[in-house]
Amino acid sequence: MNYEIVCGIETHIELATKTKIFCGCTTEFGGEPNTHCCPVCTGQPGSLPILNQKVVEYAIKAGLALNCKINTKSHMDRKNYVYPDLPKAYQISQYDEPLCEKGYIELDSGKRIGITRIHIEEDAGKLIHESGLTYIDYNRSGVPLIEIVSEPDISSAEEAKEYAEKLQLIMRYIGISDCKMQEGSMRCDVNLSLRKPGDPRFGVRTEIKNINSLSFIQKAVMAEAERQADILDAGGTVVQQTMRYDEGTNSVTPMRDKENSDDYRYFPDPDILRFCVDDKKVEEIRESLPELPFDKLKRYMNVLGLSEATAKQIFRYRMVAEFFEDTLAEGASVKNTANLIVVTIFSNMDTEEEKELFAIRISAAQFAALVKLADEKKINIGVAQSTLQKMLESGKPVEEFIKPEDLVGISDEALESLCKEAIDANPEAAANVRNGKDKAINVMFGYIMKKTGGKADIRKAEVLLRKLIRQ
Amino acid sequence: MRAGIYELAIRLRNREISAVELTKAYIDAIEKLNPAINAYVYLTFDTALKAAEQADQMLKEGDAPLLCGIPMALKDNICTDGIATTCCSKILKDFKPYYDAAVWEKLKAQGAVLLGKTNMDEFAMGSTSETSCYGAPLNPRNTNYVTGGSSGGSAAAVCANLAVYSLGSDTGGSIRQPASFCGVVGLKPTYGAVSRYGLIAYGSSLDQIGPLANSVKDAAIVFDAIKGGDKRDQTSVDYDYGSSLAECLDRDIKGMRIGVAEEFFEGINTEIKSKIEKAIKLFENNGAVIENIRLPALKLALPVYYIIACAEASSNLGRYDGIRYGYRTSSYTGIEDMIVRTRSEGFGDEVKRRIMLGTYVLSSGYYDAYYKKACLIREEINREFDAVFENCDVLVAPTAPNTAFPLNHKGDSPVEMYLSDICTVPVNIAGVPAISVPCGEDSRGLPIGMQIIGRRFGEATVLQAAHFYEQSAGKVIGDYEGGAGI
Amino acid sequence: MFVSSGDLTAAAVRKGVRIMAISKTEIEKLAKLAKLSFTDEELERFTAEFDEIIAFADTVNQSIEGGTEQIRSVDARMVSFDDLRPDEVVPSLPNDKILSNVEGYNGFFKVERSKK
Ligand SMILES: [Zn+2]
Repeated sequence: MNYEIVCGIETHIELATKTKIFCGCTTEFGGEPNTHCCPVCTGQPGSLPILNQKVVEYAIKAGLALNCKINTKSHMDRKNYVYPDLPKAYQISQYDEPLCEKGYIELDSGKRIGITRIHIEEDAGKLIHESGLTYIDYNRSGVPLIEIVSEPDISSAEEAKEYAEKLQLIMRYIGISDCKMQEGSMRCDVNLSLRKPGDPRFGVRTEIKNINSLSFIQKAVMAEAERQADILDAGGTVVQQTMRYDEGTNSVTPMRDKENSDDYRYFPDPDILRFCVDDKKVEEIRESLPELPFDKLKRYMNVLGLSEATAKQIFRYRMVAEFFEDTLAEGASVKNTANLIVVTIFSNMDTEEEKELFAIRISAAQFAALVKLADEKKINIGVAQSTLQKMLESGKPVEEFIKPEDLVGISDEALESLCKEAIDANPEAAANVRNGKDKAINVMFGYIMKKTGGKADIRKAEVLLRKLIRQ
Repeated sequence: MRAGIYELAIRLRNREISAVELTKAYIDAIEKLNPAINAYVYLTFDTALKAAEQADQMLKEGDAPLLCGIPMALKDNICTDGIATTCCSKILKDFKPYYDAAVWEKLKAQGAVLLGKTNMDEFAMGSTSETSCYGAPLNPRNTNYVTGGSSGGSAAAVCANLAVYSLGSDTGGSIRQPASFCGVVGLKPTYGAVSRYGLIAYGSSLDQIGPLANSVKDAAIVFDAIKGGDKRDQTSVDYDYGSSLAECLDRDIKGMRIGVAEEFFEGINTEIKSKIEKAIKLFENNGAVIENIRLPALKLALPVYYIIACAEASSNLGRYDGIRYGYRTSSYTGIEDMIVRTRSEGFGDEVKRRIMLGTYVLSSGYYDAYYKKACLIREEINREFDAVFENCDVLVAPTAPNTAFPLNHKGDSPVEMYLSDICTVPVNIAGVPAISVPCGEDSRGLPIGMQIIGRRFGEATVLQAAHFYEQSAGKVIGDYEGGAGI
Repeated sequence: MFVSSGDLTAAAVRKGVRIMAISKTEIEKLAKLAKLSFTDEELERFTAEFDEIIAFADTVNQSIEGGTEQIRSVDARMVSFDDLRPDEVVPSLPNDKILSNVEGYNGFFKVERSKK
């Protein structure tokens, strides 16, 4: 039987603020256990939370970037549950007055996945279970999170992955989080149910918790859809429960049920006053947003004329896009800049993380100086590539590798006469080319390169040689 | 006649007595009397003497604050760095905070001398202080009777002159009711007037710290010293009171509009009623205008209070799980079991009852019927108070429907006990300030308290009215004989 | 009784109409949520007491007819965005302070998962 997947994703993203959501402790990763702590984030009696302004600002940024309506009035609620990693026995979160509501992410197909809401909340501490003991570190307790809840608009594993990927990219672009799934600064919970095509009713759904990579989202959706389909095909019913995805076995299994986890007794936190963000502030925040990734992609293709493939390689990484645009601002050409980044610079970066970080030893201005030499045909693209490689390795500017005297003397006229010279010096090879033995042209190339010390534009030389041989 | 803070401050400055001598006198009195009265549950004599030495130094250097060198006490739910703070609960056994409450930080900086932590109902939940895990404090005026609660130890310490003043906390009457039972003055400030940072929470939207003292003037001096906004408590307000409230107590009450709401007098013991009526007459005879007003929503204040306070408490007390501080059970089968056992062994019955009620009114299916409706009525009560204060400067009411209970008076049920908070809880619900001043004794010689309620941040008017009454009414209760002979 | 029969709330409690009496099972469910446990005898006593407490609280429920959709603290105090805490790091406390009320291990809080 065929089923339709009905899937929504809840994404938790750690915000890159300097301090925790309710105290001045640092959010810096790592540190010795319980050293980024104070009475507030360890739930000491008598301590009180003070909301961090940046958290509100970042959540609004996220909302604006995801086309949400911003609730100018908002408040914090307590979500009550007892667990050793939660020092106050309640998580301060938002229940019925989230900061942002009703947005969407557009997939490549043009389909929009609705964003139900975005709210701010605090993270819990970390538990380590070891030989009969549980150790607790509250360094992460109180680190700010936003939870982005999608509508159940996702109907395939691919869409699920694309949604999460796009979300990650947008959040990175607006600079509110590094969204590293492996390190847990972005975590996804997938809600999924099946229904017969055309059936308006929803089936029983399960929730797969804490998926920590984009490809696992796709795999988990596939695995869970298959598991549910098998149950339904066999005439069974799906049990509403919390699941875990195991990447080793590529399977989805039920998690041990946390008792009573279903009655959180939400109520407004009396320690935190309701807050308002007026329209003027929201507009100010909107203006502070950078160009969003998919606007940038469109511009790269439609305005700058980059191919889709190249544009996509560059816009994917915020730092790369910035470097690209800074280079253009120095007067370098779009085409050569893009190609040198994608071909030469990326060949030095094997992983996504490296591209994301984009730690290179030359500045955009230094890079532009090189690109412009190629733009002006003072060096050919091969030389530009090899020179760039040397610059990347040494961090030294282009002048270190290409001297002014290297650049002179290969004007178009000079190249044409050099080509004539090459043909005259190799009549046999020229005849072979004329008779269809194309490879013979290499003999003339060799002559030209030797004479110019490798600095001639070989493509231009090829055109000239063929023209002269045919005459 | 016992010396007030102002007189003591003069004697300290005139070198008639040193802070160390004054402190020693109180230490002697506590050693003699506390075993019988049980006002203090934790004594800090060593640090007190050190603080007194420092205070003497400050006094010698001149320009010391008014409270410098004055021995005082703190309720056991106010955090004191390195000094036990247990809320008189087994679950916070041996708990020593590593931070000071904002109020203590302020007083310490002014040279206050802390004698110890005072007895209270466990987590401030009660009206007699009998739910304390250290046993109840006894009413110094008659040790067969309770002190009231929950700040019973703070009231008893001031009453018995085992401290010049003390701080208590008031969520539903916990400063005013024991002040009334013990015959002292107790001020519950406007919600937000005093920082709650470091006050161990019971009902966060109702809790407020305030002074218990032997006179209105002393209460005003202490309020002056502890009030003010605090960055660590978002609900606190840096209200500009203009000047020191203690210095503007002598205001003519001619023309002061005093509201009297019949709702406050329904079901009140007749002896109490007649004393309050007598006080109202005194105001009237001195030129105050008496306005008869109505506060119809008040009849629901009590259940509204219990719903909201318990809902907040059920959440506030979730953190006592034996992991980071306090009591931890000795044997268990898993962490969940450890938490349940720790809490079941660590909390007393009344605390459990309130946690259960709070859990109930917030749980799914009941939230709308109880918590949400209670919040709606709370707003209605606020609106009624706002309206009343458009035509009145203060309201006068009894502090409690009864005088002190005999010890171990259990009554028919917990709810019967809750009813004794009827006059005080509306004030917390509305977040307005109120003071309790002694206004007589009942036939058994137990003190009766009169409550004067003001508008938000109207402490000045409340204190002026109370001061006027105190000065004009003459001797309304007997002096307590004993304590530090100073 | 220290409260005279004229007291409105007391009267309301006495004649309060109840939604339903609370059952022992419900009390057990609440206890589980509140992380408390009661012995059988405590449970008996508690259920009876709790019944009365709920009847008392129920006067609030009975006082307003219908739903509470309109609830929102309209007159609640609000702060503006500019009054929120600036994102500036304040030094955290040393680990020995954080652990000063328990026996920790290598800077961690520690709990044995079972203990006899
Ligand atoms: Zn902290």
